[in-house]
Parts: sequence; structure tokens; C-alpha cells
Amino acid sequence: MVDITSEKNPRIGVFVCHCGTNIAGSIDVKDVVEYAKTLPNVVHAEDYQYVCSTPGQKKIEDAIKEKNLTGTVVAACSPRLHEPTFRRATQEGGLNPYRFEMANIREQNSWVHMHEKEEATAKAKDAVRIAVAKASLLQDLKPKFVDVEPAALVVGAGVAGMQAALDLANAGIKTYLIEKNPTIGGRMSQLDKTFPTLDCSQCILTPKMVEVGRNENIELMTYSEVEEVDGFIGNFSVKIRKKARGVLTPDEAEAKGIVGGGCNGCGDCEAVCPVIKPNPFEMGMKPRKAIYIYHPQVVPLIYTVDFDSCIKCGLCQTACGEKKAIDLEMQDEFVDLKVGTVVLALGYDIFPVEKKTEWGYKQFDNVVTSLEFERLICASGPTGGHLIRPSDGATPKRIGFVLCAGSRDNTGIGKPYCSRFCCMYSLKHAHQIIEKIPGAVPYIFYMDIRSFGKMYEEFYYRIQDEGAKFIRGRVSNILEDPATKNLHVYAEDTLLGRPVDVELDMVVLAAAVQPSAETEKTRRLFGVSCSQDGWLLEAHPKLNPCGTTTAGVYVAGVCQGPKDIPDTVAQAEGAASAASIPIHLGKVELEPYFAQCIEEKCAGCGMCVNLCPYQALSLVEKDGRKVMQVTEAKCKGCGTCGAYCPGGAIWMQHFTTPQIIAQIDAFLVGGEQ
Amino acid sequence: MAKKSKGYKDTKLEEKLKDRYFRTSESHPDFLEKVEEISKTIPHMCYQCGTCTGSCPSAPRSSYRIRYFVRRAVLGLEEEQLTDPDLWLCTTCYSCTDRCPRDIAPTDVIMACRNLAYQRGIVPVNFLKTVQAIYSSGHGVPNNDANRAARKRLGLTADPPTTHMYPEYIKGIQKILDHYKIKEQADKIVAEAEKK
Ligand SMILES: Cc1cc2nc3c(=O)[nH]c(=O)nc-3n(C[C@H](O)[C@H](O)[C@H](O)COP(=O)(O)OP(=O)(O)OC[C@H]3O[C@@H](n4cnc5c(N)ncnc54)[C@H](O)[C@@H]3O)c2cc1C
Ligand code: SF4
Ligand code: SF4
Ligand code: SF4
Ligand code: SF4
Repeated sequence: MVDITSEKNPRIGVFVCHCGTNIAGSIDVKDVVEYAKTLPNVVHAEDYQYVCSTPGQKKIEDAIKEKNLTGTVVAACSPRLHEPTFRRATQEGGLNPYRFEMANIREQNSWVHMHEKEEATAKAKDAVRIAVAKASLLQDLKPKFVDVEPAALVVGAGVAGMQAALDLANAGIKTYLIEKNPTIGGRMSQLDKTFPTLDCSQCILTPKMVEVGRNENIELMTYSEVEEVDGFIGNFSVKIRKKARGVLTPDEAEAKGIVGGGCNGCGDCEAVCPVIKPNPFEMGMKPRKAIYIYHPQVVPLIYTVDFDSCIKCGLCQTACGEKKAIDLEMQDEFVDLKVGTVVLALGYDIFPVEKKTEWGYKQFDNVVTSLEFERLICASGPTGGHLIRPSDGATPKRIGFVLCAGSRDNTGIGKPYCSRFCCMYSLKHAHQIIEKIPGAVPYIFYMDIRSFGKMYEEFYYRIQDEGAKFIRGRVSNILEDPATKNLHVYAEDTLLGRPVDVELDMVVLAAAVQPSAETEKTRRLFGVSCSQDGWLLEAHPKLNPCGTTTAGVYVAGVCQGPKDIPDTVAQAEGAASAASIPIHLGKVELEPYFAQCIEEKCAGCGMCVNLCPYQALSLVEKDGRKVMQVTEAKCKGCGTCGAYCPGGAIWMQHFTTPQIIAQIDAFLVGGEQ
Repeated sequence: MAKKSKGYKDTKLEEKLKDRYFRTSESHPDFLEKVEEISKTIPHMCYQCGTCTGSCPSAPRSSYRIRYFVRRAVLGLEEEQLTDPDLWLCTTCYSCTDRCPRDIAPTDVIMACRNLAYQRGIVPVNFLKTVQAIYSSGHGVPNNDANRAARKRLGLTADPPTTHMYPEYIKGIQKILDHYKIKEQADKIVAEAEKK
């Protein structure tokens, strides 16, 4: 039941922070304190150098005890970081922690009015007066605790998602790993070697893929997508669409009573399938059938039917024989999951670099992207690791690498950010051709070489030493000699100050990267924000890089912004750790900012029910009439319902109508209530 | 500040051994401001990638480097910029502007600097002949017989529907040029150049 009585004799303490010169440099702090002392209900006011420091917090505790305060106001910085600190200090002093109010005189005042001391001081006084008015009416509130479903969901099974899932699983948590492709591994499985150690990418990835496939705590769902999301931290309900794969796993076959059946990856079906399509894993440079696997190391090793190109001739079914693994009439299925926390690891795509027409990608045969280069140089790739020119199959000797191909580009066509791994992989590519092709010379066209990681600068040194030619200048355009299909690469060697025309056999574009195609849809389902460029937004770039503004949802890997494998894995471990905490605690605390129904006033009209954007409201029978009921764990305290209710039956805790009116009055009429 | 020399008798050596430091005292901070105001572009965002020079049809055939002009604008090197004869080698083809990844219009930096140079009377005489041509004919490049023949072949009128076809409008053009004292300034510069 809601108690709407307010404090009879409020006694408020005000603490004004200097924040070094952040505040005191543009606001007369002493003057603000003297002013605060004159405000109604204020029985104590003081200033301090850093109120958030241990002695500063102690001042709040002491004042509460000595002056018998009923509420505290700190005039300082943004509540985003320090509200919890001051709440704790208020609680230590013996008050309910919600009897604290903050006046942001730094971000909203001293910082924006740096050179207007007088006006800024006057504005600080306004802010303090408003905060005191509210503090006088604050009430004791109790946070709500909700139980946490002891399971986690990881979306996307690139190296980020795999690492996060493994960490969660190894911490004893049941983990669902969802991947839209038929296999896990993501982009990393398309790479040949990895900088700066030059490990074979698939060799270091396959053991992890196998581990993911085998881990008892991981329930792997490949060829699956998130369809619907409902709920909140601790209690997410997620509907997964298992796309019709057309092929049964041995387990699925057994469930259907087919003894010893299901796909064992033998490939008999593939051999007879008459449909030929480009394999996207090989960047379209190798064919696959309508029934296919991407590559021999896929996990799980199960074939998939591409129903968009399958002609349903049934030859595969005959070839599969007794295993009866193939079902050409298979339909999508839906699975409902209950999880406590979620990690998004949605990865990235390559920017369509043909949009920068001056470099001739998709116009000239011998201009390729770096990801295509990875497949062309890879022993398991379409050419068995023999780098060839697409135009004539010849071995290229002079190869150009165009860095920042669409990155650091403010024209609106490319991407304004640095893609962060192209410098390093282009150095790696230069090394690879020197190693594989006798006499090969790499020309690296660069603006800056960003070799910022551990052992990265040393790697740059090594490639330079191996004979790569570095030309400091961005490539302006590329033209093809129609007779030879050789490429003329134009740039300025900015160190010489001369334009160059370098004739090359092949050019590799280090194309920018962008969020993967499904990122936008998926992040919306989970209510996660994104930056202007579409990368998922972390809760705080420095202090909460794995969290998001949606409690219980975390991010890992390139979907949060370009990063290489070491950084991806490190962030994935961070996200897994963050996602495991609520699960291990078993319950989470919700701030008590939820709506309350004053049942005597509720007419049961139900208008608010449909207005709530979070489906937190419902009508229930009580004492023979209908009243509104709040599912507190779902309410985000947005206030939509409270502002609407014509009968004033909705009470917004911590933002009550009397509190807000008192604030407005304090601003307009100077504090008299 | 004047570039110091060591007083060698050999002029070539003298030139070679001249003090070539860039000193901040050489920089006119308001030069960049003026250039940005006239050009409406943002040379201070240039990261010296050289795409502009790499795109420029003039650069491989001359000492003209558009990137240097952008740089000197940023550093406020007004004297060096406005007195450099290369300022007049841009064809205004806008290739650099099309491709600059920072979305700067280097061409317009050049145009702004030409404006500023003109105000100070630093313009190659052949450019000013264009002013005179416009003043007398309304055209920078007046029509000629070869052109007329080509136009006819294409089924066009021999002269375009400009002041060539309507010479009575030349007066209006002259009025505009007179209003901005363009002809006057051009004549003055040409006369001074011819005196020398
Ligand atoms: C040419 C090239 C060379 C490189 N070389 C190196 C190198 O040598 N060393 C290095 O450290 N880094 C290198 N990198 C960078 C490296 O590829 C990335 O750091 C790494 O792959 C990031 O992994 P990820 O898991 O974040 O993303 P991804 O590998 O993109 O994985 C994301 C996964 O999520 C899946 N997914 C996406 N959306 C959904 C959805 N809605 N539902 C379900 N699943 C979804 C995708 O299918 C994919 O499997 C290179 C990159 C390129 C382009
Ligand atoms: S990593 Fe290097 S090549 Fe890639 S965008 Fe950044 S600076 Fe350019
Ligand atoms: S405050 Fe917002 S979230 Fe809470 S019940 Fe009302 S409308 Fe729904
Ligand atoms: S292209 Fe643009 S950014 Fe590059 S050097 Fe020229 S003006 Fe500067
Ligand atoms: S506009 Fe001028 S500077 Fe730019 S590319 Fe053309 S000729 Fe060169």
C-alpha cells in the first residue's frame, strides 16, 4: 500500500563540492553555501574540496547524526557515477538511502558556463534550491529484489561469442549459444594466419570450436536466430527461430526413432547434388552445392540445405540412404528459452568498398579485398593456398596494399572511424607474399601505420626489414591496363612530395568494416543502444565497457567497435564475467523507481495498461472491482502512466507529483511552498 | 622574418644554404581564417594523405602540389602561399575535391588564395587577359572559327545563345565588372607588369 504522507519537519543538509577547479573554478562555492543556509528546511550547509572522497562522505554521515537530518543534498557532478556513493554515505549516517538528492552543478553548470562566474553561481543557487525542495519531500524507499534465472544466452558464435560461452559454461552456468550461420567460428575461421605471431588461425580456433561443441553446459543452436525478446534482467524470455536445415542431427534422428541415423558429415549427398552456388565462406570464390558445409572443420559437422536454391530433386535423400538424415519438407521451429543474462557478440561485415568507385573494386579483376586475399593465400582456400591473379591465374609479383580503404573517411561514403586491424593484417599479408612467392614485392600505401599492440611495432619492423615497400600516401585512384590487366596505382608519395604511378599485378584493398547485417534488428530486440556508426553502445566507454544501458545485457567483440582477436577475446572474458555475476548472486536489486497504484483512486479504466511501453501494467480483480496492478520488475519508471492517469491514481516513487511540483515552485517562486 | 643567408658569393650555393626553418613568427594566423571564410571549406582538417596531389592532372607535369597549399593555409604561410607561381597551375577540375577523404575542397582553397592574391595584385598577366576578354566579349574563351564549324556540324547555332548571340548584353557584364573594379585592377596589374 502506498504511503503518501510526507515528512512533517524536514531537516536538510547541503554539501557543495569544489571538485577541484572543476566547480570552484567557475562557481563561488562559499556564496552557494551561505545561500543554502537561508533556504527553508536547511539546517546544515557546508562545502568541501571533494565530497566524494572518504573524508567528504564522512562529513555527510556526521552531519546526519549530529544535526538529525531527514534528507541530504549534494551539489556536485553527474549522478551517473556518484549517486551510489552519496546514497551509501546517507545510509551510513542512518537514513534511508533514497533520502538523497543530487544537484548537478558541474556538467550542467560550471563546465558549460566556464567563463561566467556570476551567472554560474546564480544558476548553482537555483539548482540547490530546487534539490532542497525535493529533498524535503523524499520518502523511505525499499529496493526490490528479483530472482535470476540460472542460465545465460550468447548471441553470435564468432571468437567473441565462443569465448564468452566457454567462460560462462566453465563457471558452471547453463549457456545457450545462438549462431545464425550453419557453423560457429565467425570471421576468424576465414583467416589464414594471425598477426603478430603468425599462428594458423584455424589451428588455434578449431580446438575452441570443438570445445564449444562438446561442453556439457553449452547448448549450441546454429542456423538459428533470435525472434522475440521479453522480460528484464534475471528473467529474459527469448524465442529462437531454428531455421529449417533440411538435415537431422543424430540426436534428432534418434528422437524420431531412426536408429543409427542422422547426418554424420560423410558428404554423400553433396556429391550427387546437381545445384551449384558460390560458397560465401570462400567469398564466393569456390562453388558449393545446394546441400553443403562451409569447410571441413565446421562445428557441428552437419550438412545444411539451402532451400532458396534446392530444386527438391531428392537425389541427396537417395544417396544418404539408411541414415535418413535429409528431410526436404522440414519447417522452421521455435524454441522458448528463459535466461538471466545475455551477451551480444554479433561481429562485423566488410564495407562494400565498390562504393569508392575510384579504386575499381568489382570493375577490375585484379582488385580484391583483404578478406578475399585471406582465402586466396589460405592452404584450405579455393586455390589451395596459391596466390593467383583472378584475371589470368598468373602468380602476382608486385602486389599493392591499399590501407584505409573506406576507413577514416568523412565524405559520407566511407566510415569515419579507424577499422583498427587493417594496418596489422596488411603487414601480415606483405609478409605472407614475401614468404610464399620468390621475388614478390609488396607495396604498402598507408597514411599512418597503427601498430599499437603488444609486439605489434616489432612486427612492423620485421616486415620493413623483409623488404616491403612503404609509400606514405593514400591511393587516389586505380586504373587498369586493358591489355595486360595490370593495375596503375596513383598516389602521392607524401614523403617525397611527388605523385607516383606504380604498375602492379594485383591490388588488395584493406576495406573498412561495419556492423554485421543483423546487428540493427537484434540490438533493437534487446533494447540496446548503438553509436552513430551502428556499433553497439557500451554503458560507459571507460568504466563499463562490457555492459549496456539495458541491465543484464552485455557486449563482446567487434559488434561494440573494431578490435582485433586479442582485444575481442579479452572483452569476451569481461562480458562473460559481468554476465555471470547476477547469475551467481541468484538475485538482482531493482531501483525502487517503479509506479504504484493508489487503489482507492483507481477507476479501473485500463488506459494506462496500453500506454506502458514495457508492458508492466495489468488490470486485476480486487474486492469486487477492477484496479491496475504494476509488475514492478518490468516497470522502468518512465512515468508515462503517471503523467496520463486522469484520476491521479498512479504514484511515481521518487518522482511524486508533490515532489515535482515543489521543484517547479522552488524554481519559479523561490522556495516557498 | 626574412630567411637568413650566410653571404656566399656563389648565388646557387647561397640559395642552397639559406636558412629554411619554419618559424612560428612567419605564420599569419588570420590567413587561415580568411581562406576558410572565402573557400567555405575546412583545410584545418587535412591529414596530409596526398589524395589530392595523387588525383591532380597538373601535379605529374609540374611542381604544383595541392597538398602543400592546404598545409601552408593551415600554418598561415601567407607570403609563401600567395607569391608561389604554382598557385595558378590548378585547372579547377575538382578531382581532388571529389576524392578528399576528409571532405575538404582543396580546389576551393586554391580559389580562395587566388582571390587573396588578386587583392594584393599578385596575378600572372595571362590570367588577367581573361578579364579583358570577358570585358570585351563576355567570354573567357571567345568563340572561334573552328568551334563555329564544329557547332554547326552538331546541328547547333554557330554562336551560343550568350553575348556572342546577343552582344547588346555585353554592357551589363561590363557594368558588373566595373562595379567590382575588376577591370580597373586588372589593367593596373598588367600595366605594372609591362613596365618591368
Ligand atoms: C582481412 C582480415 C584479416 C584479419 N586478420 C586478423 C589477424 O591476423 N589477427 C587478429 O587479431 N585479428 C584479425 N582480424 C580481425 C578479426 O577478424 C576480428 O577481431 C574477430 O574476427 C572478431 O570476432 P567477433 O566474434 O567479434 O566477430 P565475428 O567473427 O564477425 O563473429 C560474429 C558471429 O556472430 C554471428 N551473428 C551475427 N549476428 C547474429 C545474430 N543476429 N544472430 C546470431 N548470430 C549472429 C555471425 O554469423 C558470426 O558468426 C582480421 C580481420 C580481417 C577483415
Ligand atoms: S587500421 Fe590502419 S589501415 Fe585500417 S583504418 Fe586504421 S589506420 Fe587505416
Ligand atoms: S512508469 Fe513507465 S514503465 Fe512503469 S508502469 Fe508506468 S508506463 Fe510502464
Ligand atoms: S586529400 Fe584532403 S586530407 Fe588528403 S592531403 Fe589533400 S586536402 Fe588533405
Ligand atoms: S582541382 Fe586543381 S588541384 Fe584539384 S585536382 Fe584539379 S587541377 Fe589539381
